Amino acid sequence: MTLAFDSLPQPLSLLSRLDPRWKLAALTLAILCVALLHTVPAAGFALVGALVLAALGGLPFRWFLDRLGGLALFLLVLVVLLPVLLHNGGPHLQLGPLEVSWYGLRVASLLSLKAIAIVTLVLVGLATSPLGATLQAAHQLHVPGLLVQLAMLSYRYIFVLGDELSRLRIALRVRGFRSRVSRHSYRTVGHVAGILLVRGYERAERVGQAMRCRGFDGQFRSLTEFRSTLADVLFFFLVSAGATALLVIDYFR
Amino acid sequence: MSEQPAIRVHNLTFAYPSGPRALDQVSFEAAGGESIGLVGPNGAGKTTLFLCLSGVLPIEKGRVLLAGLDPADPAQRRALPAKTGIVFQNSEDQLFHATVFDDVAFGPLNLGCRPPEVKQRVAEALARVGLTGFEQRVPFHLSGGEQRRVALAGVLALRPEILLLDEPSLCLDPRGRRELIQLVNSLAVTKVIAAHDLELIRETCQRVLVLDGGRIVGDGLTRTILADARLMEKHGLEVPHSLTHHLDKHHGE
Repeated sequence: MTLAFDSLPQPLSLLSRLDPRWKLAALTLAILCVALLHTVPAAGFALVGALVLAALGGLPFRWFLDRLGGLALFLLVLVVLLPVLLHNGGPHLQLGPLEVSWYGLRVASLLSLKAIAIVTLVLVGLATSPLGATLQAAHQLHVPGLLVQLAMLSYRYIFVLGDELSRLRIALRVRGFRSRVSRHSYRTVGHVAGILLVRGYERAERVGQAMRCRGFDGQFRSLTEFRSTLADVLFFFLVSAGATALLVIDYFR
Repeated sequence: MSEQPAIRVHNLTFAYPSGPRALDQVSFEAAGGESIGLVGPNGAGKTTLFLCLSGVLPIEKGRVLLAGLDPADPAQRRALPAKTGIVFQNSEDQLFHATVFDDVAFGPLNLGCRPPEVKQRVAEALARVGLTGFEQRVPFHLSGGEQRRVALAGVLALRPEILLLDEPSLCLDPRGRRELIQLVNSLAVTKVIAAHDLELIRETCQRVLVLDGGRIVGDGLTRTILADARLMEKHGLEVPHSLTHHLDKHHGE
């Protein structure tokens, strides 16, 4: 049994009632603005805004933190390394043999704040509408149908491959395999990765065949009809105006 | 049964790249409404034959006509899904949408049906396979038997004239298998059923083709072919249990 689509929480909230098209457009614009920010205070404000949206979207706290956990691990490396490695000749702090630059610290903070804000906005988008509706909204916003199908199938088959990996791990374990620092272990892990790729390819072939047999010609078609209300338009203008204003202030203040 | 053959296969030959011939001069015809069983050992070419018939694999030598359409002709191949439905061995490869409704609607949408007709076709197909009320369920969370029925509904929604079923009883429990037999028998379309489940073939097909090494080595009435112990044994098959009993009684063994 695969985990598939319903692993996203989709809580009932103020944001979950909005038309996915307006929501997607607003969040995309907001993400773009956040990505272009270049000062720490602005990035801090962006993060606060993203967290407000997460609260309005009713994202389950635990689920939200779990998703940020993976990102935090990656950011930790940046936060530790950048202040030590990135110097611009400006002021720095001497900690024994290490020189910790303020510039490096500033870049690490900026990157971390922006990354957390962007991931929060992505999670708001994913968790407050069914994935199918979000992808259909993307298609209605003129994202090419092939890309939309590709996104849907990629998401679906991440879980199928995850399942396949679990089965392979069980098959290894019942034959006494334990992961160790050894040549045998590495070789086995390499084989498993190879088998996953081959199986993924074969499955993709079969899925493609099944799709073509049901008349698929690369076009994305859907029965979903979206209906816009004043609240959708208001949400779009509030979020996009807020994000654009932040970007303008960040550049011209 | 109508006089014009629904399926006409003449000297069909196919080989996978750098492999031996998977199909070797296969020829047969099926009348409209006829139900044909396709039996043979593993690797006999059953699935390859289905993939050639449905236009997934290119026809290199020979000629195929399904409902008057030639899968070798690109324009006619595009029209094939409206006439021919194929249910693959592994249902999971055939299900890729977030809901049962979307999955069953996939084919009719690709055929260009209007939304009311799509909804009607989905409702009819789900009713046919006994899955009314499953519309919003996630296909990947259903049992193997239910997934198989969703896959079949997805094909029935195309309203095909010809149905190709590859191992339809795979993963089904006895009750699911019994329901499948009733369902298959209730479908007044031309059917070709490939299966190792010879009891299912006996109950659903009037005629049987034996395929071995890519060649048709037997063609006749189901009862005659399946009861031919020498033919069955020669091609890695067994006389079904129900027919063995029948023969035992007649021979007083």
